[in-house]
Amino acid sequence: MKILILGAGQVGSTVAESLVSEANDITVVDTSAEKLRLLQDRFDLRTLVGNASHPSTLEQAGIADADILLAVTQSDEVNMVACKLAASLYNTPTKIARIRATGYLEHPEIFSPENFCVDFSICPEQILTDYIRKLIEFPEALQVLEFANGLVSLVAVKAFEGGPLVGKPLSFLRSHMPQVDTRVAAIFRQEKPLIPEGDTVVEAGDEIFFIAATGNIRSVLKELRRMDKPTKRVMIIGGGNIGRRLALSLERNYQVKLVEYNKKACEQLAGILKHTLVLNGDGTDENLLATEHVADVDVFCALTNDDENNIMSTLLAKRDGARKVIALINRNAYVGLVQGGKIDIALSPAHVTIGSLLAYVRQGDVAVVHSLRRGAAEALELVAHGDRQSSKVVGRRIDEIDLPKGATIGAIVRGDEVLMGHRDQLIESDDHVIVFVINKKMIHKVEKLFQVGIGFL
Amino acid sequence: MPLNAATPLLYPAKVESMNLISSILPLENVILDADSTSKKRVFERVGILFENTRHIARSQVFDSLFAREKLGSTGLGQGVAIPHGRIKNMRDAVAAFVKTEASIPFDAPDGQPVNLIFVLLVPERATDLHLQLLGELAQMFSDRTFREQLQASSDPVVIHQLFINWKA
Repeated sequence: MKILILGAGQVGSTVAESLVSEANDITVVDTSAEKLRLLQDRFDLRTLVGNASHPSTLEQAGIADADILLAVTQSDEVNMVACKLAASLYNTPTKIARIRATGYLEHPEIFSPENFCVDFSICPEQILTDYIRKLIEFPEALQVLEFANGLVSLVAVKAFEGGPLVGKPLSFLRSHMPQVDTRVAAIFRQEKPLIPEGDTVVEAGDEIFFIAATGNIRSVLKELRRMDKPTKRVMIIGGGNIGRRLALSLERNYQVKLVEYNKKACEQLAGILKHTLVLNGDGTDENLLATEHVADVDVFCALTNDDENNIMSTLLAKRDGARKVIALINRNAYVGLVQGGKIDIALSPAHVTIGSLLAYVRQGDVAVVHSLRRGAAEALELVAHGDRQSSKVVGRRIDEIDLPKGATIGAIVRGDEVLMGHRDQLIESDDHVIVFVINKKMIHKVEKLFQVGIGFL
Repeated sequence: MPLNAATPLLYPAKVESMNLISSILPLENVILDADSTSKKRVFERVGILFENTRHIARSQVFDSLFAREKLGSTGLGQGVAIPHGRIKNMRDAVAAFVKTEASIPFDAPDGQPVNLIFVLLVPERATDLHLQLLGELAQMFSDRTFREQLQASSDPVVIHQLFINWKA
């Protein structure tokens, strides 16, 4: 596919990186020659310096041949204009824009084909906020991801010494909890994936990914880790786009304290956040943290736009007794370094949000993509189409499907019904199938498997 | 139905002498295209063709072909693709054949780009007949001599005759 990406920032670069392959022809446009050079040095793609909302730039970048336009520059306005131009002048089939301002997002009609012609809009800040909210709701989880409009969840947990499952085979889970249907999709042990079998014995430190109907998540978590206390107190450092949204979405259900360095910003935040205690100060100031009883905090989130500060304040908070600490970290190298150490969860905004873009770009009817383990693994929701002849999955039992090794079908959603991916489960047309892939090299194979054959009319 | 060359096809008795394709492919729908360099341009080109000859909105043609392509490539391999789609409020199937000068990436199973592109539009309610059309196309294009003849010619009239005269 020919893909045109506008903006070589965090989102643009990450998406370019994950799409670069023989099958894709990618061009990236940015005003910064330096950012483009960094990309071009690492990947096989074309770059162009220029203003992304100018017809001449778009033309030079080859928009007339492009299958997909991804407008992900820093500016909402540039992104919207680019989509509009792509539709009016170049008939581009799929146009996706990153839109951050709530003022625009509140009026989805402006994206319609009569107006700005944005087929899909994504808001990374909102995606991140939702992601963090889930981690607060389930404090024992490392990751909670939803599929099929929230009917199914994929949850990652760390097995710890003395936990209920450690030292026991996975089949124990089944016999111990026959009433709750769940499947372990993968286990990562010392950063390496294991293909889970019934006799796989769980060790302390294992990262376990399991899939279950969302309503069953709590009871499964209870088995895997004895239930942690539910979250009551949340402390947020940084009242920017993400901190503000998060406080707003949490403040009715939790006790929220928000620390912001900028005094003016504090005043504005205090005006918007009716139930949050807004504090003016530095999140790395241990006296401030102590005064605000960081030791009693259940979840501590450092969400400023400064990686180093986020790392330092989460380290301090953890040392001083905060139960679970989450740091937002933009630089990829830091994420790998920090995750799993003293800091419970290191969040890379680019990796959390990239999945929502990938779902539109991937070949085949892909409903949801979640990028896992910093892009090394992936969980996908694919829609099966066709019949036994035109499809390689429809009309077959799961154990008859030629899945590449390391890919697991976790669950199937048929209408509103959630069916676990047991080996004798039959797949029907229009089923939403949730597949866990432990190595990204297999993703293309999995996609191919779900594509209909030429005989599908 | 499976679409490999070995599939026996049922022909209606009265059109025994003619193949199914020839009835839906008029000469004017055989195009030699020097300009198109991408899948998107080819779909635009046939959109305009069907808008002018069949009064089907070009955007409808374009969207339908792209929507089908999204579910899985219609690239057949050996330089051939058979993009197809359903069109609302259409009575009979129509077809166009585009031979492009440049080969176009089409995500075909053999990984090769294509330059022989047969576009098929069928009514919203596809029937067995339409599946037979697809089957016949697959069979036609699996015929190596036929493909070589198409590649060798640059005359729409000759190419059209090749389609008319083709026999299983």
